[in-house]
Amino acid sequence: MNRTISSALRGSVVEEEVELTVVELGRVCRATEQQIEVWVAEGVLQPSGDTREVWRFGGDSLARMRLATRLMQDLEINSAGVALALDLLDRIAELESRLRR
Amino acid sequence: MKYKDYYETLGVPRTATQDDIKKAYRKLARKYHPDVSKATDAEARFKEINEANEVLKDPEKRTAYDQMGSNWKAGQEFQPPPNWDAGFEFRGGQGGAGPFGAGGSFGGGAGFDASDFFESLFGRRAAGGGARQRADVSGQDHHAKVLIAVEDAYRGAERTISLRAPVEGADGRIAMQERTLDVHVPRGIRPGQHLRLAGQGGPGSGGAKAGDLYLEIEFQPHPRFRVEGADVYVDLPLAPWEAALGATVDVPTPDGTVQLTIPAGSQAGRKLRLKGRGLPGKNPGDLYAVLQVVLPKADSDAARVAYENQARAFPGFDPRAHLQG
Repeated sequence: MNRTISSALRGSVVEEEVELTVVELGRVCRATEQQIEVWVAEGVLQPSGDTREVWRFGGDSLARMRLATRLMQDLEINSAGVALALDLLDRIAELESRLRR
Repeated sequence: MKYKDYYETLGVPRTATQDDIKKAYRKLARKYHPDVSKATDAEARFKEINEANEVLKDPEKRTAYDQMGSNWKAGQEFQPPPNWDAGFEFRGGQGGAGPFGAGGSFGGGAGFDASDFFESLFGRRAAGGGARQRADVSGQDHHAKVLIAVEDAYRGAERTISLRAPVEGADGRIAMQERTLDVHVPRGIRPGQHLRLAGQGGPGSGGAKAGDLYLEIEFQPHPRFRVEGADVYVDLPLAPWEAALGATVDVPTPDGTVQLTIPAGSQAGRKLRLKGRGLPGKNPGDLYAVLQVVLPKADSDAARVAYENQARAFPGFDPRAHLQG
């Protein structure tokens, strides 16, 4: 096993400093542009900009898109089912966070 | 190596139909999917379920697995018999992505994290390991998780992380390569946020640029502090007289101790906000002290007298008045 060491790296905080184009989002999540269009149509992702070419996705789209992709692939649910599951997971997270406070 | 009973994993008899297996798998996959389940061993269970399904859903693999006989018990020491797989052609499946998860999925689909048992029977490639890069392809974006302490988010921190990724050597063989990176975790990072490190993902080939590395930040559970978004909560125990009469007490925060004035007449459960003392950043969060009232034990004569004096001092006090009628 080889080891290479580099010096301390500084990254950008995706949720606060990064906006993604449809191409970038597709690459991060290993999804096609058509799949991203489906998530936009289902309301799972809400980019700014009117057409695909000028869409800009907020950094929080990254985690949401990856979650949607995992649920779809692992559980074989269709896009509407995933959208519903995401809404319910959001509600559970909100209720659980209220319980923890 | 231990024998794995894939039928037991899916909870189906050896005589189960392909349809029964599919149903059992779907049900368990929903139950233990790490994004959905709260079970602490969800990820491990989900991997096992996927591996079992990978074998049993495929009639050829299932037949080969069945051929080893049904006398094995889960967990028993196991070596595959020589030439046990003669006549089967399931080695050399399509390459998927490596340990970072194809498309980010936990299992199924295009590659999963197979056990030694699986690999000894069906080979590494059957699990979808070992992606081959084509010419002039940008490197893939990689994903990993980093655990930090709450205090690190207040001050910023440096973390050394180890990453393992498959790399194709000059001879075309795939070897696991480990590399370590020193990463600066910025002050004010919140749980669930991602750090993007440009160019630290998979290498590009043919001169194309490398992918990016995305680090998901998670917080280690803290015995005192609970983090909700940018806000931090801490339970603050008070003596009854501090709550009743008011007091100035020390409150621990991830950034050191601060003094907090407790107003007279504070009830348990009340939250006192320390504005801007939550996670720092452009929009800093708040720190909430959640008041708890702790009763001293009545384990001496003096203590009992003190409580009896209280009872006499509050003749009209009925804590259950609102339960009446």
